[in-house]
Amino acid sequence: MALLQISEPGMSTAPHEHRLAIGIDLGTTNSLVASVQSGVAKTLQDQEGNTLLPSVVRYLENGDIVVGQDAHDSQLDDIANTISSAKRLLGRGVGDIKTLAGNLPYSFDTSDEHSNVPQIKTIAGNKTAIEVSAEILKSLKKRAEDSLGGELKGAVITVPAYFDDAQRQATKDAARLADLNVYRLLNEPTAAAVAYGLDQRDELNESENERIIAVYDLGGGTFDISILKLNKGVFEVMATGGDSALGGDDFDHLIAEWILEKSESELTHHALVEARRVKEALTDNDEIIASIETSEGDWSGLISRADFDEMVAPLVKKTLMACRRALRDADLEKDQVHDVVMVGGSTRMPIVREKVGDFFEKPPLVDIDPDQVVAIGASIQADVLAGNKPDDEMLLLDVIPLSLGLETYGGLVEKVVSRNTTIPITRGQEFTTFKDNQTAMTIHVLQGERETVEENRSLAKFTLRGIPPMVAGAARIKVTFQVDADGLLNVQAEEEMTGAKSGIEVKPSYGLTDNQIEGMIRASMDNAKEDMEARKLREQLVEADRTLEAIDSAMASDADELLSEDEVQTLLTARSQLIAAKQTAESAATVKAAIKHMEHEADFYVARRMNKNVNEAMAGHSVNEFEK
Amino acid sequence: MFDFNQSYFKLFGLSEQFALDTSKLANAFRELQAQYHPDRFVNADDKERRVALQSTGFINEAHESLKSPRLRARYLLTLKGVEFDDEIDTTSDGMFLMQQMEMREALEDAQSVSDDSETVLDAVEKIGKEVKGLSQSLQDDFVSHFDTDNLVAAKEAVLKMKFFERLSKEVKTLTEKLEDDMF
Repeated sequence: MALLQISEPGMSTAPHEHRLAIGIDLGTTNSLVASVQSGVAKTLQDQEGNTLLPSVVRYLENGDIVVGQDAHDSQLDDIANTISSAKRLLGRGVGDIKTLAGNLPYSFDTSDEHSNVPQIKTIAGNKTAIEVSAEILKSLKKRAEDSLGGELKGAVITVPAYFDDAQRQATKDAARLADLNVYRLLNEPTAAAVAYGLDQRDELNESENERIIAVYDLGGGTFDISILKLNKGVFEVMATGGDSALGGDDFDHLIAEWILEKSESELTHHALVEARRVKEALTDNDEIIASIETSEGDWSGLISRADFDEMVAPLVKKTLMACRRALRDADLEKDQVHDVVMVGGSTRMPIVREKVGDFFEKPPLVDIDPDQVVAIGASIQADVLAGNKPDDEMLLLDVIPLSLGLETYGGLVEKVVSRNTTIPITRGQEFTTFKDNQTAMTIHVLQGERETVEENRSLAKFTLRGIPPMVAGAARIKVTFQVDADGLLNVQAEEEMTGAKSGIEVKPSYGLTDNQIEGMIRASMDNAKEDMEARKLREQLVEADRTLEAIDSAMASDADELLSEDEVQTLLTARSQLIAAKQTAESAATVKAAIKHMEHEADFYVARRMNKNVNEAMAGHSVNEFEK
Repeated sequence: MFDFNQSYFKLFGLSEQFALDTSKLANAFRELQAQYHPDRFVNADDKERRVALQSTGFINEAHESLKSPRLRARYLLTLKGVEFDDEIDTTSDGMFLMQQMEMREALEDAQSVSDDSETVLDAVEKIGKEVKGLSQSLQDDFVSHFDTDNLVAAKEAVLKMKFFERLSKEVKTLTEKLEDDMF
């Protein structure tokens, strides 16, 4: 194949290797995948032309798994086996579920006391949120491979800025199950700033070295605000804040309540569906008629945008308060913010745009579809990390969203790494024993901002043994926290005199153990063979296209000059055979054979073209020149 | 090869002193990050990636330590061999502790001067300014002691800075709460 690509002598024939990399926005409600192709970041569509993949997975009795729109559409028929909003459960423990379960339509299996990971009961057996998320990732991965036609080298997956260590780890575990190589987990708001190319704008404006960007992200179920600083291609997250339980769904609930109050009926799923329709319609209309069926009959009523704005004002205000807090954490005033980026479908609401604009005293950026902006930014970062843009200096520096600490005497928490510290970071802190002859010490790692152990999130507990017996306060125990670029934590404890050591990669509290993941990967191997064959076939199809393109362009340029009638006929026959093989797409082997045949038939032609090129290049030069 | 034994000042190409050229620190920080950050090594082998993680960890820690005036002062002293034990070390200056108590009381009193949040906010902000001024003079104290090699007095100044750090954090929290109420 390479033989057909002829270039001038002295010019490199090897094209720059383009590594296929994707950006994934793994959302609570919808997920998307994007990739940079020919320098342009684009979201990828499925075969039906849909960009958004509903984050819904349905398990069937025969073991089949349905992901996306079809699963979403059948939700009401098979609610127990259709898992939505799995992201809310990622990295959560059995204990957390009690507070969440009231809002979830599926049930959990609590019979296994040893498992800390909530098991969702389905007809196909128990499933964890990690497995459900992995199905969504697999579906996006397949979509990307189908449309890019090749092997993916890596992916950038976005997570809410608010995600703690366990949630980030769970996201990575899901990616591992989906057989995705994760270059980096990226905070969603950071990805949005990247999508707007604000780093490039920076260079246009020479008078200012720094650009401050506020990213306002109001999604279906979460709100995040991030303050970023840009300087010469380096993004720094200065502060993050938000509310992990505030989103567009809450706006729907308020409208639903209004409808129910006016119609004097009970809350139903249909009222919520209608509420969402009303909310979306009010984006482009000043008023709209809401209607639902009640036990008394049909009810309908007029709702104006002013009514709506008044209803939701407290929610919008709550988001603005978080904005002020984040600005304060970043030690900035409102007027120092250069750009405000809007992310998430809920920012389509005119009231949100208006209030955010008023607050920051400048119109927010809304040009890129707020549902797609995160995936687009992630794909740009993936492209840079893959090494496709060697001259691009873009570097994203992230901060840790929540403080990390250790339990100390009296159930208090001593912070070791405080929130908004730039990561990766390695930090050690010394502790001592508080009893005479104490030979072991329990290290309890916590995450959160509160003072006491109970109010923070327990990440892991482990014991350091082998401390030599000494009087209280004599031993020196150094505990080292290492947080990597994804915000994942590793803790080591060492007694400095004897060198007794113990450590833990923080994950067991709420994540899956390596063994569990291995088991799941093995279980999915059964399907892997088919996947492999499918991938090979796709690769050969792409290869076939390239071969056809090369032969067509060669023949267009010099067939008249270099080929006889018969020779043209031979090549055209081989060409039609290749096209036929491509169209039947029976197996990778048959397509490959047709490519080989085409190449073989074209050998003489390639040689002739090569000679012609060499002759042209040497024309006017003496042979001596080339001998040197 | 990255040198994990160099001083934080040397790492950023800064002179070993309390006065800080913040823009020089910021630029050097960015340049080092651009060179060593793990994102530059996603396609490298495990060993290179581990080194990248450790070097950036060191760079970030160094950056945090120099950015904060108290940690910078403390670091200067540790370079001179002065040891700190966070669990034991504290100031025993009675006058200073008295002043701290008075300021705390003033902060509490400010909250009850009026029912009007704005008036309270003004009072709290006034205390905030005072705290800022006193922290500044404490930094000046540190520099004069440090420059004359009076390390004991310099260490005392660093220990006192921690009190002001807590106090200004409380002022900040209170201001935030008051503003939220008004908003």
